[in-house]
Amino acid sequence: MIAKMRGNYLLLTIIIIALALFPFVSDSRTLTILLTQIFIFAILAMSYDVLLGYTGIVSFGHAMFFGIGAYATAIILKKTEPTMLSFFLSIIVGMLLAGIVSFIIGLLTLRLQSHFFAMFTLAVSGLFLVAAEKSRTLTQGNDGFTFRAPEFFADRTTFYLFVLACLLIIFLLLRLFVHSPFGSVLIAVKENETRSAALGYKAIYYKVMSSVVAGVVASLAGSLYVVSLRFVNTSVMGIDITLNALLMTIIGGVGTLVGPILGAAIIQLAQHNLSNLAKTYPIFERWIIFFGIIYILAVIFFPKGVVGTIREKLGRKS
Amino acid sequence: MELWINLTVNGLATGMLIFLLASGLTLIFGLMSVLNFAHGGLFAWGAYAGVWFYTVTNSFTLALIGAILTGAVLGFITEKLIITPVYGDHVQQILITLGFMIVLSEMLKVVWGPNQIAAKVPPALSGSWEFGDVLIIKYRLFIIIIGFLVFGIFQYILKRTKIGLIVRAGVLNKEMVQALGINIKRVFLLVFMTGAALAAFGGALMAPYSGVIYAEMGMDFAILAFIVVVIGGMGSFPGSLLAAILVGLAGSYMAYYVPDLSLAVNMIIMVIVLIFRPQGLFQVKG
Amino acid sequence: MTTLLKAENLHTYIGQYHILQGVSFAATQGEVSVLLGRNGAGKTTTLKTIMGLTPASKGTVMFKGTEITKKPTYEISNLHIGYVPEDQAIFAGLTVEENMRVAMRKEDDTTLERQEYILSLFPDLKKYWHKDGAFLSGGQKQMLAMARAFINEGELLLIDEPSKGLAPIVIEKVMEAMTEMKKTTTIVLVEQNFLMASKIGDTYTLIDDGKTVHTGTMEELIANDELQHTYLGIG
Repeated sequence: MIAKMRGNYLLLTIIIIALALFPFVSDSRTLTILLTQIFIFAILAMSYDVLLGYTGIVSFGHAMFFGIGAYATAIILKKTEPTMLSFFLSIIVGMLLAGIVSFIIGLLTLRLQSHFFAMFTLAVSGLFLVAAEKSRTLTQGNDGFTFRAPEFFADRTTFYLFVLACLLIIFLLLRLFVHSPFGSVLIAVKENETRSAALGYKAIYYKVMSSVVAGVVASLAGSLYVVSLRFVNTSVMGIDITLNALLMTIIGGVGTLVGPILGAAIIQLAQHNLSNLAKTYPIFERWIIFFGIIYILAVIFFPKGVVGTIREKLGRKS
Repeated sequence: MELWINLTVNGLATGMLIFLLASGLTLIFGLMSVLNFAHGGLFAWGAYAGVWFYTVTNSFTLALIGAILTGAVLGFITEKLIITPVYGDHVQQILITLGFMIVLSEMLKVVWGPNQIAAKVPPALSGSWEFGDVLIIKYRLFIIIIGFLVFGIFQYILKRTKIGLIVRAGVLNKEMVQALGINIKRVFLLVFMTGAALAAFGGALMAPYSGVIYAEMGMDFAILAFIVVVIGGMGSFPGSLLAAILVGLAGSYMAYYVPDLSLAVNMIIMVIVLIFRPQGLFQVKG
Repeated sequence: MTTLLKAENLHTYIGQYHILQGVSFAATQGEVSVLLGRNGAGKTTTLKTIMGLTPASKGTVMFKGTEITKKPTYEISNLHIGYVPEDQAIFAGLTVEENMRVAMRKEDDTTLERQEYILSLFPDLKKYWHKDGAFLSGGQKQMLAMARAFINEGELLLIDEPSKGLAPIVIEKVMEAMTEMKKTTTIVLVEQNFLMASKIGDTYTLIDDGKTVHTGTMEELIANDELQHTYLGIG
């Protein structure tokens, strides 16, 4: 067991070093940008996994937290001098707002059946999307606006490394979180709410806290996302973002944290390649259909995802 | 006065369309504990099917029937392929029905293209009636009448017929219904198909009302329907009518007086209901 | 004397709990077989397992010589097996009349005549005919549950603790009705009230810790103080 864990850490370290060295070895700008996107979506997907995998609740409004972070950063960088200070400030503002919103939503709906949370988050995120479209003075609606990123990120490689570091830190923090006593209670609540309630755990408290953590991390992903584009529009609030997070988490492996990272890579690479294919074969313009079908099949036949399934197989062998 | 009446008529018409979507949602939820996130997709399919049948047959009646049948067939497919495999697992149901929603709306784009399609009001129902100073658009009144008619018919079925009794009993206690010799799975399928047909019917009525149809309309309307289901009480048929009218009217008045708040007002109603009456305005007795 | 229902070595899990660990008994046509035992012994689960509501993982249930262990609940019910659950499971929100209608296999004259006859056994129900099931008293709910299970020409009735929580005078009425029902139907009765069980029962099966520990005729049990003391806490 310990040897296996050491092996895992060794593997992780090798992968991280390889990824960190990657931009110095390869001079493919496209690939660097693609990897940056993968890292950002990996952060988003991990935050989703905290909800779905570790707390057993489904949110259809995760895009709103992503969007909150995205707009907080874009607006602050637009209105102020784009320094690293205002960048960090914007991240904190986004996280705070996301935390407050997820806290309120959680408090309102998490004591009810899981349906309510899914429905409510869907509706509230719809509201946020409309609000973003209507507040044209601030957001310029669907047209969006461009802004300047801090000088420090002018070099794509620097930003790449920064996002990779964020991914690593968030991964370690979330790992710590789900393996903490708090995380164990979360899983207990997920497995059997009545019983954990009998043991004296207030399920609602744990669920709300987990939704706050997920919201805050998603906001960070949003902040990083807009800086990578140097542009923001209402699509950051769109349901597609939520679906991406959902898909990445499910394909990669629910409740594993590593899975969503892998899922992010799979989905981003597939999207990248499929939209290239669309130039030759128009049917691939509707690549979302393939995702929808794969997703449905995954939910029915492959509910543990790639990582979950591998772990199950390995677990059986030993 | 005229303005006020027009806003009310608008609100009622929108409310009826939401009701057609929400009533199926609420019955399916009440009986099967399944919240069908693909319901909006069935609504959009109804709209497209209605427009298509109308252009092909040039008869609005046939268009509506075509939409209803499309809805029922899609409902059959959805229940058998999507709902049955994950029956009893809430999280999986929520996930899978949303996935199917995506497939449904993307399929619309594959079949009819990604652009908006115009929908015409049939000649018999276009134009308006004058009542003194007040001008009422015929088609809106038509929707309102149809809405109440559907409510009346379903209320009769639920209250007076054997199958209606079984559905109501099933909402209250599925186990006992089976112990009385009823195959609940067949009832599930029937209710699901009916709900899907109602949603498609609503979509077909919606198309000439809004003038254009697009693949994402399902999701937009589904959100309103979810709000209605929460406000009305999950599983309550009369609750869904009242809540739909409430949401329709609130939306219509707010769109005129405070346009920026028109969606927000429904959310606010929902939040208030969730805080003070999480079981909804009409609780289904258990 | 033909055996109508035969349960053999039933094992049932509810969640991860192994509730039945070998229940066997037989119900003879025309008799009242009583399942006795302490709280939590597995009597209710035995009835649910027969009905297919908590299917057995091991063992068999035979009804008129055919195996019904794995059949779905509605098919079992349609073999003319009526079920009165412990909590009565009245459809609150449906009137007494509607509760009866849900149970009717056919709504023909024969059934309606039978309904009149059943209502003569439970005159209270007639009084509350259009009343919502939610507003019935405990005794009325019990009567409705029994009437509902009896509405179709039945071969077997499974009745779970009809005396539970009822006043003695109401128990009296329920007993009277059951004595009448016994004339046309075989009954498997779960009962804690030994006095009642001993009056109406023909045979008994003692269940303890999910296992059948004793079976015999009711006379034998009445005569055996020691058995009553050990398993029923009487005397």
